[in-house]
Order: sequence, then C-alpha cells, then structure tokens
Amino acid sequence: MKPLVQSLNELDRVIHEPGRLILVALLSGVERTDFLYLQRETEMNKGTLSSHLARLEEAGYVEIEKTFRGKIPQTLLRLTPKGRKAFEQYRRGIKSAL
Amino acid sequence: MDQVSSLLNRPKSYYNVDGVGELGIGFMCLGFTFMSWMQLRAPEHSLWHKPYTVVVFILAMSGVIKYGSEAIKKRITYPRTGFVEYRKRDTVWIPLTVGAVVAAAIAVLLAVARRAQWEQVPPGSLIGLLFAGSYAYGVARTVQWKWIVAIAMTIASLWMALLPPKAVGAFLINITLYGVLLLLSGGISFVLYLRRTQAPTEEA
Repeated sequence: MKPLVQSLNELDRVIHEPGRLILVALLSGVERTDFLYLQRETEMNKGTLSSHLARLEEAGYVEIEKTFRGKIPQTLLRLTPKGRKAFEQYRRGIKSAL
Repeated sequence: MDQVSSLLNRPKSYYNVDGVGELGIGFMCLGFTFMSWMQLRAPEHSLWHKPYTVVVFILAMSGVIKYGSEAIKKRITYPRTGFVEYRKRDTVWIPLTVGAVVAAAIAVLLAVARRAQWEQVPPGSLIGLLFAGSYAYGVARTVQWKWIVAIAMTIASLWMALLPPKAVGAFLINITLYGVLLLLSGGISFVLYLRRTQAPTEEA
C-alpha cells in the first residue's frame, strides 16, 4: 500500500484537479487556442474557467495572451514547455499508480 | 485515463466540425477527376498533357483548398466556436510521414498487381477500401451519421472490383463518387454547423 500512497502523493496537485486536468489535456493537443474554444469544450462557466486558467498560469503551465479579434477581445492560451513536461510526468505517474 | 486520452484527440476532430475538411478533400477528388478527364479527352499535344500544366493545376487546386479553408475558419468557425492552432507535428510532420508511407504502399501494391497480372481485385478497389477505412477511422468515429458515407465509399470500392478488368474510367468514376460524397457530407455538416452555432457577442 505504501508505494501506491507515495506515488499518488507525488502527483502534481495543480494538474490533478479534474477541471484543470481537462484543460491541460485539451491544451496539450494544440499549439494554442482561445478562451471560447475551451469554454465550449469543457462546458465550464467563464468564472470557473478563468480561475482554473489563472491557477495554471501561476504555476507556469499556461501562457495567457490578451488580444483582439476585430473589436472583440480575445484570450489566447498556450501550454508552456514546463506545462507540457508536467502533464507528461502526470500521465506517467497516474499510469504507474493505477 | 482513457477519457483523458480521448480529450487529447478532441482538437483534431474539431478541424472538421464545420465540414471544411471533407469539403477540401471532396474538392480535391473532383479536381483530379476533372484533370484526368481533360487528359483523356484532349488531343495528344494539348496543354493538358504537358507536365507543367499538371503542376500548375495541382498548385492552383491546393491554393484554393488551403486559402478557402482558412477563410471559412477565420470568418465563420473561429468567431462561433473558438480558435485552434495545431502543432506543426500534427499539421506537417505526421501527415507528411503518413502520406509518404501510404504512397509507398500504393506504389508497391500497383507494382505487385502489374507483375502478378492481378485482375480479380483491381488495385483501385484496395486503394478505395483504404480510403474508406481512413475516413471511417478519422471522421465517422466521431460523427455517427457519417457512417453512411463510409459505407457508401466501401460499396463503391467493392463495386469497382466487380467491373470487368481494365474497365475504362472505373477508377475515375470512383474518385468522382468519393468527391461527390465528401462534398455532400461536408456541405451537410457545414449547414448543420451554421444552424447550431452562433457567434457570442462578448469576449472570445
């Protein structure tokens, strides 16, 4: 039981939260995307999505760029190399734990 | 973990959410039919038999597909359901590698078919089945009604195998059929997409 507990404890808590895990998984499949795409795919409301993205940005996993599409503000998001590495590590970790 | 893996593939299926992927391939199939038809019909020394005409035609067709798709994405899809930029690995390196492997496999198949005078199952049928299989895996898996298109493609490929050996234009008819099927399927997807989605007025 001890190795299982240890490997679960070693999982990245920032990514382990279900909402953020979905976001990181979606972002890992693209070069960059926008807030609208993530909102549509995850069906999260704006507030929840923003807070998860802020947490990921704080951890250095996501890069957020504010721009405009015509006159409409657009938020572009990209997984950083650190975020990509952390997600790969997380996948390996959860596979070995299960 | 399987669900996480399926999430990784969701952005890929998003490319055809508006049917643009199918419209592009359908247009390409009909373009090739048109070019082959012109080569069959045109006199021996006409422009259609010059290698540079083929190159110019393919470049023009690729340009229309590339810039046409980009225009639809930019003006319709991104404002409605969001912007996605794919990784170079997914848009350049993997398609190039897969394309090279498939082209090599087709070349080997044609060489074997010619050497063995393989007339029972024309290689065109096998290429068609490969095409139908790729469509089923890449598109029909994610949108259920598109299985009809995959089945129609399979029937068309099998029908070609039943034609008399070396039937004139059998492969051409099949490519035309694939083109029409894909244009129809892509067109239906596009109309459904326009009906079901609307651009938000606020922040994207």
